[in-house]
Amino acid sequence: RVAMEASELWVGFVGAGRMAGGLVRGLLQAGKVPASNILASAPSDKNLDAWRELGCRTTHCNLEVVHRSTLVFLATKPHILPGVLEEIRPAVGSHHIVVSLVAGVTIQTLQRLLPPWTKVLRIMPNLPCVVQAGAMVFSRGSNAGDEEAALLKSLLSSCGLCEEVPESYIDIHTGLSGSGVAYVYLFAEALAEGAVKMGMPGALASRIAAQTLLGAAKMLLETGEHPAKLRGDVCTPGGTTIYALHQLEKGALRATVMDAVEAATNRACDMAKD
Amino acid sequence: MSVGFIGAGQLAFALARGFTAAGVLAAHKITASSPDTDLPTVSGLRKMGVNFTVSNKDTVKSSDVLFLAVKPPIIPFILEEVGPDIEARHIVVSCAAGVTISSIEKKLSAFCPTPKVIRCMTNTPVIVREGATVYATGTHADVEDGKLLEQLMASVGFCTEVEEDLIDAVTGLSGSGPAYAFTALDALADGGVKMGLPRRLAVRLGAQALLGAAKMLLESEQHPGQLKDNVCSPGGATIHALHFLESGGFRSLLINAVEASCIRTRELQHLADQEKISPAAIKKTLLDKVKLESPSLSVASASKVSLFTNKSKKN
Repeated sequence: RVAMEASELWVGFVGAGRMAGGLVRGLLQAGKVPASNILASAPSDKNLDAWRELGCRTTHCNLEVVHRSTLVFLATKPHILPGVLEEIRPAVGSHHIVVSLVAGVTIQTLQRLLPPWTKVLRIMPNLPCVVQAGAMVFSRGSNAGDEEAALLKSLLSSCGLCEEVPESYIDIHTGLSGSGVAYVYLFAEALAEGAVKMGMPGALASRIAAQTLLGAAKMLLETGEHPAKLRGDVCTPGGTTIYALHQLEKGALRATVMDAVEAATNRACDMAKD
Repeated sequence: MSVGFIGAGQLAFALARGFTAAGVLAAHKITASSPDTDLPTVSGLRKMGVNFTVSNKDTVKSSDVLFLAVKPPIIPFILEEVGPDIEARHIVVSCAAGVTISSIEKKLSAFCPTPKVIRCMTNTPVIVREGATVYATGTHADVEDGKLLEQLMASVGFCTEVEEDLIDAVTGLSGSGPAYAFTALDALADGGVKMGLPRRLAVRLGAQALLGAAKMLLESEQHPGQLKDNVCSPGGATIHALHFLESGGFRSLLINAVEASCIRTRELQHLADQEKISPAAIKKTLLDKVKLESPSLSVASASKVSLFTNKSKKN
């Protein structure tokens, strides 16, 4: 049995793009794993420079990552993954924990392309992992047990919210939070635009819009209150907020947002089938 | 205590039915009057054991609490007619949408120096003792007078005191509210019928669903949003249905409705203040009866009885 102490853990990343970078920053920030214990591979140096600056080791050889790591994150683009799995398959042992960040690739597919004893987990992070305010969900494959799940959760909680879910929730998470981040950016942009229309300079409006979203989200998370209640708390009778909310309701904002989550989730499902 | 209703229409009937069912008032302690004896509600009132008369003056004389249960444009005529009979002991309760306390007090002050006026807004479910009532007390109505009315109205549902300037909003919400509910129930029943339910059953189930939901909300500390969530299983039937409601702008429609009703109430009040309600809007028979009762009103002047003037205007 391999020691599960995070500080003794050798962590590898196959693929060193934005998502992987976000996760590793979170890990390092939390001080869970020393940078020298982290090895990342990528075809070019383009991404790897940033990793070296963090103190991580880098290589162009995927097999090396597998040989030198216990916990291996797969962070390639979806169409690259099958080829990478072919390549590393011979080196994957029963001591490895393979965690895939690859969008749309199911546990079933991963398990099919890896040796039958492999402990596989699948994780769907979102972009704000980069600033340690991410939302991640993960699911276990057949050989991954409570220890592996607990390890992953404990390591990645440094990047934000990290919850284990049934695999069927992963596409929904994409629609809600993976893509959801973009909905929020759109909303922030629109808020600021409204302010600009009313006479506020754009840069200031954007900062305030962002802070408003941050503050509201923080209150939601920290009070645990139902959003409808928090909304009601802001609405003075006959005041500005209720007038504005009426406009939002007229625009069927709620339904539109539900449509968006649905569309992204369905698209994730469709893409996974390809 | 005896209660009188000027007007014997839906409102008088609903309140009388509610009060008697609640046992706060015996039917024979209630008097209702209307010049129009053909109203279906008149026979209903009679069957209840309520004293019915065509004389508004008789109603005033035999009542302690006097409800003005006529349509808003009629109010000025009524006040002209019964004004002389109003005494300091009377509590005059106006249920007319958009008619202000000050307009009533002004009118009555010609006859009685300190008329006790209370303005109230109730709704039709008082008939089944689930009414929603608010009231605001006038200048000369004491706290006890308000409490007396509150006790009466609390016997037929929820009743609370409010500032007068909120009453138009209440009209939009709970005054008109039952109509929104009936519309929703009709449509829900249609939905049930479309999916195969017999009409009667669909109506019964729809009504019970709304009744139950309302009761849950009133008895719960929770926000309606939370109660809604509690019904929505992930990926289930309800959330699919709710999505349709949201797409249709269900919420905004309801907000619009309450707003429209409130605004219209204010508009009507405004029109009344400016004496823009034409007597043509009032049934001729009513006008004739009023003229019979109040010979001081000349034919010409009956065309313009305002809430603000105490003397009939001459054309």
